[in-house]
Amino acid sequence: MDTPALFVVLALIAYGVAYFWYSRWYDRAVWAPDAGRTTPAHMLMDGVEYFPVSKYVLWGYQFKSVAALGPILGPFIAIQYGWLPALAWIIIGNFFIGWLQDYSSIMVSLRNEGRSFGPISYEFMGARGRTTLLWFIILYLLIISATFIFFIATFFNIFPGVFWATIGVLATGVIAGRLLYRLRWNVGLVTLLALVGVALSILITTDVGVFHVAKNFLGGNTILFWAIVTAVILYLGSVLPLPSFIQPINYVAFFPAFVAIVVILVSALITPLTGVHLQQSAFKTFYPGLNPGPLWPILFVAIACGAISGWHSLVSSSSTSKQVDIETDARPVGAGAMLTEGLLALASLAAYMVLSSKATGLGSVGAWVTGAQVLTNPWLGFLGTAILATFFGLVLVVYALTVQALVTRFWRLVSAELAGDGRYAVLGNKHVATLIGLVIPVAFAINGSWWNLWLYFGASNQLLAGLALMIVSIHLAKVRRDTRPSVIPATFMIVTTLSALVWEIIVFVNAVVTNKPLTQAGTTLAQPAWHAVALTFNGIFVLFGALLLYFGLRMTWSSYSAYFRMLRGVQPPAPQPSSSVAMGGAGRK
Amino acid sequence: MPEEERKKLGVGGMLKGVMYGMASHGNVTAALRTRMYMEHLFMFITLGDMLGIPVLPPYYSLRLLPYAVPNVKSWKQRVFRERDFTDALY
Repeated sequence: MDTPALFVVLALIAYGVAYFWYSRWYDRAVWAPDAGRTTPAHMLMDGVEYFPVSKYVLWGYQFKSVAALGPILGPFIAIQYGWLPALAWIIIGNFFIGWLQDYSSIMVSLRNEGRSFGPISYEFMGARGRTTLLWFIILYLLIISATFIFFIATFFNIFPGVFWATIGVLATGVIAGRLLYRLRWNVGLVTLLALVGVALSILITTDVGVFHVAKNFLGGNTILFWAIVTAVILYLGSVLPLPSFIQPINYVAFFPAFVAIVVILVSALITPLTGVHLQQSAFKTFYPGLNPGPLWPILFVAIACGAISGWHSLVSSSSTSKQVDIETDARPVGAGAMLTEGLLALASLAAYMVLSSKATGLGSVGAWVTGAQVLTNPWLGFLGTAILATFFGLVLVVYALTVQALVTRFWRLVSAELAGDGRYAVLGNKHVATLIGLVIPVAFAINGSWWNLWLYFGASNQLLAGLALMIVSIHLAKVRRDTRPSVIPATFMIVTTLSALVWEIIVFVNAVVTNKPLTQAGTTLAQPAWHAVALTFNGIFVLFGALLLYFGLRMTWSSYSAYFRMLRGVQPPAPQPSSSVAMGGAGRK
Repeated sequence: MPEEERKKLGVGGMLKGVMYGMASHGNVTAALRTRMYMEHLFMFITLGDMLGIPVLPPYYSLRLLPYAVPNVKSWKQRVFRERDFTDALY
């Protein structure tokens, strides 16, 4: 009873009910998929973006695309309220909202010629809706980047050896790419060599105290040092061709990440045998203080992926939907992958549940690694604590690094689109755009108030989920289907996330007004000499939050207006042939 | 995929598909997309003069025409498709 296994099993049962009963009912009653209807993968098949793929392949792809650092780190903030609220949100949130959003995003795209959310929002909400979405995504990308760069820098800093292990994985990836694409070696052989390379990277580099070098070099300002190192890696990832850097690295990095998921999940399930017990209270408090804030709305934005995440709707509608073979595959792919990600979040929560409250204080960013070691030590302890720490630290870094490299690249593409070829064309240059997309997040990251950044990220991510559900509801209203299962969760998510954004703005305003800037202990900005700079950053965060709130409110207004218009039977205006934000379009002239 | 083929897949095929999907499918589609942009360029260079853009003398275009013709249909479909910023995610 006092092991995490019971709760993981409980969640398995709940997710089973969600998949086999609720999703099946929703699937049949609302979307009524037809295996005989031609999907965009067949209708528009071009062998590149549109082509049919087996549901198993697509499930694997969808899971890999949506499972990243979110389900691992989200429960960390949530556990400040006790593990029970976190567990309840992961189970109930995913049961009623999470899978429904991912699945419906695929379906709405399938029924709209495989188009992604940009053109769909343009059709339903007009040019204003899509422009607002674009700006919202710009801010969202900045905050994801700041959060992930901070994490990577911190993991490099607190886990000796992880940096060199990461360099080993990057080098293995680049070599594997050369062997595959240039020398055309067999993919099986290259994979085998890559696995050996990853294993050696962990074994050889464990316990290398390179962070001491950085400390000596910069006099303790190591977060800044590692943030710059991270930015250099991401810069290469953004400007180099995909097949020579990011693509093979993602391939190589997949293996340790996959092994870690399986190991943690198995370790959580066998805790009755290994004797690992819960160390945390089920419920701690509703209001731990102004920062992080009350359970509602903060808990619901702290745990994003695993319960619900807006990022998934972008993945579902931009790539997965273009490759669905038959409509009935959408449920196993969308709902199945999301419910499986919920299990990953639960396994991560289990890693925090077995640590003491002190070990999971808000300052202990690397607690997941310690928890993972506690869970796995009884049966994998023969490998040695240092190797396990390096392995799990590496997994955190590669999860963050591979997603962040894609985010930086996406930022560059969006910048090129926004800058167009007019007066500000230089901002769309790949080097300039990448530098801007890295300098701002690094500046945010070294501010160090990481959980506030995470909550901004969570709030914008969850708001995107609410808006995705509204787009789904608009479509369903248009075709006269039941919108209640999507519009009720959408409203809950939008109200919750906007409230969380307001709360975070209040937290930063309070920091500025009381002259007590929010910083991370041990960083440069926490020192008295940097007080004014830290305060300025807090002021910038107020403005940043206000902008997020403004665009969030504008999107909310546009989506609800469109929804009620559809309910009244008023069709949207006919879409125009081009717009200033269409990729490959005219851009701003 | 026809229904019979889907049924024949078995557990091994299913696991293989899942592993491929997780490890490689994204990379394969990214590689295909890179090739697509190269093909766009190639088609534009070879058939550009027929579109009114004199990038290559017609003599060479005509020599290359038989090789380019099989790709014209899918090329048209891809190159004329409106792309949005949300399409560039993956």
